[in-house]
Amino acid sequence: MIITNNPLVRSTYENAHVILFVEGNYREVLVKARDLVHGRHQLITHPLMGSLKPNETPYRSVVVSDAVLDKTDADSVLIIEEAILVFDRFIKTARTDRGEGSTEKMKEDFREIDLSLLSSALSE
Amino acid sequence: MKLELGYIPIRDIQFGPKSKVDNNTLYVNKKELSALLLEDEGIASVELDLARPGESVRITPVKDVIEPRVKVSGTGGIFPGWCAKVRTVGTGRTHVLKGAAVITTGKVVGFQEGIIDMSGEGAKYTPFSKLNSLVLIIQPKEGMLQHAYEKALRLAGLKTAEYLGKLAEHLEPEEVRTFETLSVTDGIKMYPELPRVGYVLMLQSQGLLHDTYVYGVDAKQTLPTLIGPTELMDGAIVSGNCVSACDKNTTYHHLNNPVVEDLFSEHGKTLNFVGLMITNENVYLADKERSSDRTAELCAYLGLDGVIISQEGFGNPDTDLIMNCKKIEAKGIKTVIITDEYAGQDGASQSLADADAAADAVVTGGNANMVIHLPAMDRVIGSIDQVDHIAGGWSGSLKEDGTITAELQVITGATNELGYNTLSAR
Amino acid sequence: MNQIKVVHYLNQFFAQIGGEEKANIPPEIKEGPIGPGMAFQAALGDNAKMVATIYCGDSYFNENTEASIEAILMMIREQKPDLVICGPAFNAGRYGVACGTVASAVKEKLGIPAVTGMYTENPGVDLFKSSVYIVPTKDSAIGMRDAVAAMVPLALKLARGEALGPASEEGYMPMGIRKNFFEGKRGSRRAVDMLLKKLAGEPFETEFPMPDFDRVPPNAAVTDMRKAKVALVTSGGIVPKGNPDRIESSSASKYGKYDLEGVSDLTDVNYETAHGGYDPTYANDDADRVLPVDMLREFEKDGKIGSLSRYFYSTVGNGTAVASAKKFAQEISKDLVADGITAVILTST
Repeated sequence: MIITNNPLVRSTYENAHVILFVEGNYREVLVKARDLVHGRHQLITHPLMGSLKPNETPYRSVVVSDAVLDKTDADSVLIIEEAILVFDRFIKTARTDRGEGSTEKMKEDFREIDLSLLSSALSE
Repeated sequence: MKLELGYIPIRDIQFGPKSKVDNNTLYVNKKELSALLLEDEGIASVELDLARPGESVRITPVKDVIEPRVKVSGTGGIFPGWCAKVRTVGTGRTHVLKGAAVITTGKVVGFQEGIIDMSGEGAKYTPFSKLNSLVLIIQPKEGMLQHAYEKALRLAGLKTAEYLGKLAEHLEPEEVRTFETLSVTDGIKMYPELPRVGYVLMLQSQGLLHDTYVYGVDAKQTLPTLIGPTELMDGAIVSGNCVSACDKNTTYHHLNNPVVEDLFSEHGKTLNFVGLMITNENVYLADKERSSDRTAELCAYLGLDGVIISQEGFGNPDTDLIMNCKKIEAKGIKTVIITDEYAGQDGASQSLADADAAADAVVTGGNANMVIHLPAMDRVIGSIDQVDHIAGGWSGSLKEDGTITAELQVITGATNELGYNTLSAR
Repeated sequence: MNQIKVVHYLNQFFAQIGGEEKANIPPEIKEGPIGPGMAFQAALGDNAKMVATIYCGDSYFNENTEASIEAILMMIREQKPDLVICGPAFNAGRYGVACGTVASAVKEKLGIPAVTGMYTENPGVDLFKSSVYIVPTKDSAIGMRDAVAAMVPLALKLARGEALGPASEEGYMPMGIRKNFFEGKRGSRRAVDMLLKKLAGEPFETEFPMPDFDRVPPNAAVTDMRKAKVALVTSGGIVPKGNPDRIESSSASKYGKYDLEGVSDLTDVNYETAHGGYDPTYANDDADRVLPVDMLREFEKDGKIGSLSRYFYSTVGNGTAVASAKKFAQEISKDLVADGITAVILTST
């Protein structure tokens, strides 16, 4: 299952994967992933993939398992919770022309990169 | 594997009617090189420029930095998998134009590409301010997609480095250094008493603008493996990574890997530099488990006593770094890890995205969030309006008078995680 | 150049006024150095003059922090010093917090540099190490001479406005604020050297100390609460009225064990809170709010839990040293195990 706020990811993968589209920002994607992880889904990709910092790119895609496990995966919990902590640290230095405030051309680039990073995981 | 590196020092760079090296000056025939690069149909235009140490010049947006080298003898050619066929390199003799570099610039995307200042405050933070560089400004054909543009730029840079490197083929080097890696059994026989040390080199491998290539193969797809340290010196590892200027490893860094150099300098004296392992930093979490398990097994298999682990990038790779560290330490092998930090502009935030008590020996390349003030430069090569869109910069970063206030992140190579620089933090 | 003027902050004990019985005195000022101040003056030599000593009772300071700081700052302002030295407080919790608070206020409100000294486990450390220069000391006044020797050079640098190097060089506790600087050697060289030391079993200094995790793996879940013998343990400071064991309102040095035989509800007649870190009104009114005895008795009656333990354990978590908390827990656990307790509800505030 792909949790994403990136419309390019949705359009690319909607036929092949379950898409949970988040009409919201990067953090809301992380929070949704966290909720699912606490609900016994396993984290499949790293929530902080890519070197674009959380206060730079507005797009985020995270893959979790379609099925739930018998019990909550502790490693998944740690990784997603820490990712949210990292996000909150970075967003303190928000930039007006980055993230949500990027130009449309930059947003297009960010969507592409997010898609590419995700594809590298999904091609497994 | 034994490799001789012959250094031809370059102290100046000029354009000239004939490409050659004369009296430690590198001359470049603009027309000839441009024509060579334009053979790639994806490239619409090529501009060449020069930058020398101490000049009031700013280069941006930097994609890669490459050192011109040429194989004089031994199997294969420089940049196997790209400029040369994929025969294994790292033996024989290779000549190096030491003090010269090729810098590629090009938009590709609107962010995350670096600045190199050849003088002033910014010059202190990048090793590339000390080099005589040929800068390529490359425009792609209209409508070219990001990944194709990145590839075209990458190839242009490698081709140029190869073209220039060839000029050194028949020259007499001023200095020759020899690097030899013995077989495991020979090493044990020769240095039975010395601690067995290995190096785990983590390669960026996450996707577009986040890739590294080994003999032309995308590092995402490799399993952790052994590679000869001298193979790096012939360009077996090439960078396709241009995100996070401060801590991405340029091809220049791979060619001049400082951990390899410093381990070699102690080899046979205080330690036995047994070998080098490469591993990746994939996005898929199961890959991380697989890679770190295998890396730890390799280290144990080699009977190592100690390992240096270096990384590349931020966030996701911090998880790999800590996984590698923990698992190798769990095998009873001592580790030192090299990383950089994002501790916030005030230096007060938690620096790493992941951490563990096992990582008790850490070398840091510095806090990438530190705010710096760069003076205006007389000339800008590339395009300056990218600065506001560069990571670490912000709206208003670029002032009308040409000065820049931004985070250290913007400077290419500033917090390098191979330990290339003297910058640190406490 | 004018001689550096220093003001010293002490508690009632080091100011030679008295012990715990004098912990309630408000801030006062006297001319010149007192007690350890003399040692500081001797070490400072002609470089500086300790013009005044301000002292305050530890209990008074902690229970009237705002008023104390106001008074102390006013006294310091009048003296116009170039530097303020606080303590050292060694392992005394309330004193450490006071020193940290004074040093921090002096820096922020008066723009005067300050330095203090504490034992690493002093609760004042965690609270102030990122904003105040704290020199590590031994855990008692035996370490006074060493503390003075370590604090004085740093104090003079601060007073003179000289730039400071990293914590390890200047002798103060790392503030957790990362500062970039250029080393002599490149990182790879530093890594090789560090590895060689580590391999040889020699001491080395990491460039980035990992955060202190102190992770405790959780026990398995209680399988059947209906059979569980449950005990209540709190750091919320609930004690029998009158606080018979005199558990401190902060930086507690002890815990209490109290009998709940025949008690099914805590009221303001027999119980109160000793905790000085939150508004006690509601806890004093009905201590069940912090220690839910009434609910557990109900559960006991309804068979939801097996039984409520006869004894509850209580201390005050406010500014209490981690090391103390660990010690209390170790002792309490022994009791709990001996009593056959199978589950514990820990309440804090």
